[in-house]
Amino acid sequence: METIVELKDVTKVIKGRTIIDNISFQVNKGEVFGFLGPNGAGKTTTIRMIVGLMGITSGDITIGGSSIKSEFEEAVGHIGAIVENPEMYKFLSGYQNLVHYARMSKGITKEKIRETVELVGLTDRINDKVKTYSLGMRQRLGLAQCLLHEPDVLILDEPTNGLDPAGIREIRDYVRKLAREKNMAVIVSSHLLSEMEMMCDRIGIIQNGRLIDVQHMKEFVNGSEVMYELEVTPSEKALSILRVNYPNASATLSSNGVAVELPKKEIPNIVKVFVQEDIKVFGIKEVAKTLEDRFLEVTSEKGAANRG
Amino acid sequence: MVNLIKNEWMKIFKRPGTFVMIGILIVSITLVGIIIKAQHNDKDFVQDSNWQQVLQEENNALKQQLAQSRTTMEKQFFKKEIAINDYRIKHDLPSREKYTVWSFVKDSSQLIMLAGLFIIIISAGIVASEFNWGTIKLLLIRPINRTRILLSKYLTVLLYALFLLAILFVFSTTLGAILFGTPEKAIPYLNYYNGQVTEQNIVVHLLIDYGLSSIAMIMLVTMAFMISSVFRNSSLAIGLSLFLLFTGAQFTALLAMKFNWAKYLLFANTDLKQYFEGTPMVEGMTLPFSITMLLIYFAIFQFLAFYVFKKRDVAA
Repeated sequence: METIVELKDVTKVIKGRTIIDNISFQVNKGEVFGFLGPNGAGKTTTIRMIVGLMGITSGDITIGGSSIKSEFEEAVGHIGAIVENPEMYKFLSGYQNLVHYARMSKGITKEKIRETVELVGLTDRINDKVKTYSLGMRQRLGLAQCLLHEPDVLILDEPTNGLDPAGIREIRDYVRKLAREKNMAVIVSSHLLSEMEMMCDRIGIIQNGRLIDVQHMKEFVNGSEVMYELEVTPSEKALSILRVNYPNASATLSSNGVAVELPKKEIPNIVKVFVQEDIKVFGIKEVAKTLEDRFLEVTSEKGAANRG
Repeated sequence: MVNLIKNEWMKIFKRPGTFVMIGILIVSITLVGIIIKAQHNDKDFVQDSNWQQVLQEENNALKQQLAQSRTTMEKQFFKKEIAINDYRIKHDLPSREKYTVWSFVKDSSQLIMLAGLFIIIISAGIVASEFNWGTIKLLLIRPINRTRILLSKYLTVLLYALFLLAILFVFSTTLGAILFGTPEKAIPYLNYYNGQVTEQNIVVHLLIDYGLSSIAMIMLVTMAFMISSVFRNSSLAIGLSLFLLFTGAQFTALLAMKFNWAKYLLFANTDLKQYFEGTPMVEGMTLPFSITMLLIYFAIFQFLAFYVFKKRDVAA
């Protein structure tokens, strides 16, 4: 995999306060990289440094091998971005907005604009003034604006803020498609965990300006043992049997039975024991840990470690 | 750069406010024309047959005053009047002229103030609005460095200024020609500089007059642009610049009577006509001095605007 965006020991100090503390990570072509963190953790600041809206106190960011500090025009040419809401000129039509941005990059033809408009599904309304657009349509126009010059890196800061479920889904499908088909690197920031889970290949977790973890989504979510929920009666007896047989596994009572963290291969054995002990087994369910559980786990662990 | 200017131009002309400005400017010129037309009655205009004698008497009176006057400023003024009157007598150029299109263009050049007001509004908004709209974020992530973006904005403001001045000049010439007619023979303008009287083509003179009258406006436009870029606040930029546009000259004149350092103030130097047609505001001021001062102010405004814009972290 080819690295396209690289952050090297990036630090940002504003008025003596360290907002971003020594962050380093890479994003490869064709992957969706999620940037996750609570509000105020420094997601937006990092993204603004990547696109050159904010200066970098120390460290460097390279995009396609060019430094955003010293070779700004070269570096930023690889990027298409929406930073927070896609603010457009409301008194211009959608098309005029696109022409405006097309003039600022080299070699964007009228044909390309038309194609992009079609791609985001705005063909019918493109000649209307932007002030008549819904938020979803503005978001799509924003997307059109950053795809015009066929960037290698797409950066979306909170792309689904304020969108309805259909709009969120649309953006999500779209982002995945771009990464897959055009081999684009996509950097998405959000504090909505469920959304990131569905969209990203890798995520970086940021807290208090520090990057505390970068992991593949699958590994991240399934990082520990899988939790199984066993629907059994009587549940108290089942629990005590589990505790006797697997003293190391954490077993707890759940609403319809017991929940236990075990390797998968142990499941048939447990069922056998339960049947022998005359416990009724109604169902066995694998409970995947959600990103949210892991996120809270990781942030509290690392947070504690950093403080301690 | 051409594309960037095209963009800025589009953003100015797709807003209704711009057309209101142009409308007001044209209506104002028309009103001035109608009022002047109503006051003048050209049919009664007869050239005084013994105007040369009148001028001669006037000169004699002026010479007496010159002998009595104490300040050099007064003396200069009298000298100039006498020289011009002498020239008129010598070259058969009557002082009272028919009110023609050129007189009207000269009178309506007062409206440069009004045009200046509109240009300041555009200038004050051109950077600050991008911040207000939030569009600055999308504007600055293009493969174009900030200096060029800001420069394109400043050039657009200058272009807009030129555009409004052109409207003012062309429209008042057209209206003047319709209302007052064109003179049969072009009457030259008499220029007095360094003790010499020279003839100047009236159209050339008017264009120079427009240019010189616009200097104060351009300096204020540049200042508004600087405030807009530094403070991202168009209200402050408009307010301060308009206040200075309307009061700056008088205020400086007041200070100039008392203090010699007033000559370093911006407004003591914006009126370059003082060296061609009048006397300097503060004694000892010269044309090169004023041009230098103007360039220094201009450089300071531009430096602040560009430095801050380039270094700024775009947060909001």
